[in-house]
Amino acid sequence: MEDRDQKVITFHSQYAAFLFRRRYGDGCVLRPVPRALSSSCGTAAFVSGNVDAKLLDGAEAVYEKDGEGWRMIWKEQS
Amino acid sequence: MELREKHKLAVTGLFIGAISVLLVVLGNPKNMGFCIACFIRDIAGSMHLHTAPIVEYMRPEIIGIILGSFAISVITGDFRPRSGSSPVLRFIIGFFVMIGALVFLGCPLRMVLRLAGGDLNAFVALLGFIAGIGIGCIFIANGFSLGRAGGATRIEGAAFPAATVFVFVVFIAFPSLFLFSESGPGSMHAPIAASLAAGLAVGILAQRSRLCMAGGIRDIFLIRDFTLILGFIAIFLAALIGNLITGSFSIGFADQPVSHDKHLWNFLGMVLVGLGSVMLGGCPLRQLILAGEGSGDSAAAVLGMLFGAAAAHNFSLASSAGTGPGVNGKAAVIIGIVILLAIASIVTVKERRNYERG
Repeated sequence: MEDRDQKVITFHSQYAAFLFRRRYGDGCVLRPVPRALSSSCGTAAFVSGNVDAKLLDGAEAVYEKDGEGWRMIWKEQS
Repeated sequence: MELREKHKLAVTGLFIGAISVLLVVLGNPKNMGFCIACFIRDIAGSMHLHTAPIVEYMRPEIIGIILGSFAISVITGDFRPRSGSSPVLRFIIGFFVMIGALVFLGCPLRMVLRLAGGDLNAFVALLGFIAGIGIGCIFIANGFSLGRAGGATRIEGAAFPAATVFVFVVFIAFPSLFLFSESGPGSMHAPIAASLAAGLAVGILAQRSRLCMAGGIRDIFLIRDFTLILGFIAIFLAALIGNLITGSFSIGFADQPVSHDKHLWNFLGMVLVGLGSVMLGGCPLRQLILAGEGSGDSAAAVLGMLFGAAAAHNFSLASSAGTGPGVNGKAAVIIGIVILLAIASIVTVKERRNYERG
């Protein structure tokens, strides 16, 4: 069944994605960034539930499932 | 959604494989329906940047790919002008990617097309390509990144696609300004309209699907994901079937079209291409697509490849079909691997320090 609570975190580098997975622990899967979010072929983290903002060092944005698409709920302040 | 992305990649791969076989039927050299490295080299020759008489032709496929990516990204909102992610390093890496490709005699895309034509030298090259990507992944997993690109103006993002269109218009209007091979691979080409249309279609499809010859293998190494590799497999299958239908399939190492059987140099040439592609964030085809999407950094990599192609022929670095690389080419591959490893090591150490400092 589809996880309606799923969130996707995009990053500025693949290393940042690896560090996030290490900090997040179980329940985090790294996959290619969904095409609907970006034309880049970078790596995104897929998690369920809330994401602690303290873990988002190196992250670009956080999206949550919104129907068939994604809705941005956090963006790095540049 | 993930399934849709996989379908898109598979369709794109099947299309590129099939159109590559068709372009050969229409006149392109065998197993060279598409070759980003060879075609950029031919363009360099056509523009008097080198004077190797057998590889001079303004290949419309390259212009089509960049223009197709540009047009579809503007239409769909993917056009994002950006630059500033180590453009000079990307130029240098692009330069050495081209050297490696011209020692093997093909980019990763042509490697797959050669494999689908039965050329087993391309299998040796594939092993080298995988090894190069594997080495690059070790650096990525330890912090390697060429840095963030910043936003750029729309005119900056459109400048590279506009420049390629300008060159192509001049080529059509004043062909006598350009060089044309009278023999060899540069003299063999499909009609201009067919080549341009094929390039446009590939540019559009590759932009929509994010097809990348290096990205698929990289993702298997780094995150055990098999999505991007689908495009790679689909190109191989479509070209294999096409070659069997058209009678162009001939299995073996010897006497393959525009190739050589110097295994060590096929392997090392593609180690250089694989490593460089991972460092750039994509294969030569992907660099064209990203340049079309407004990436000044990828445009720098493409210009590095153009410069590398000129150097490869002006300094006898490129392999000769049949005989392989000379001393200069062998030295260039070794130097290229050493320089890319040095860049990757220095950047990785610096990036890790930055992360540790927070």
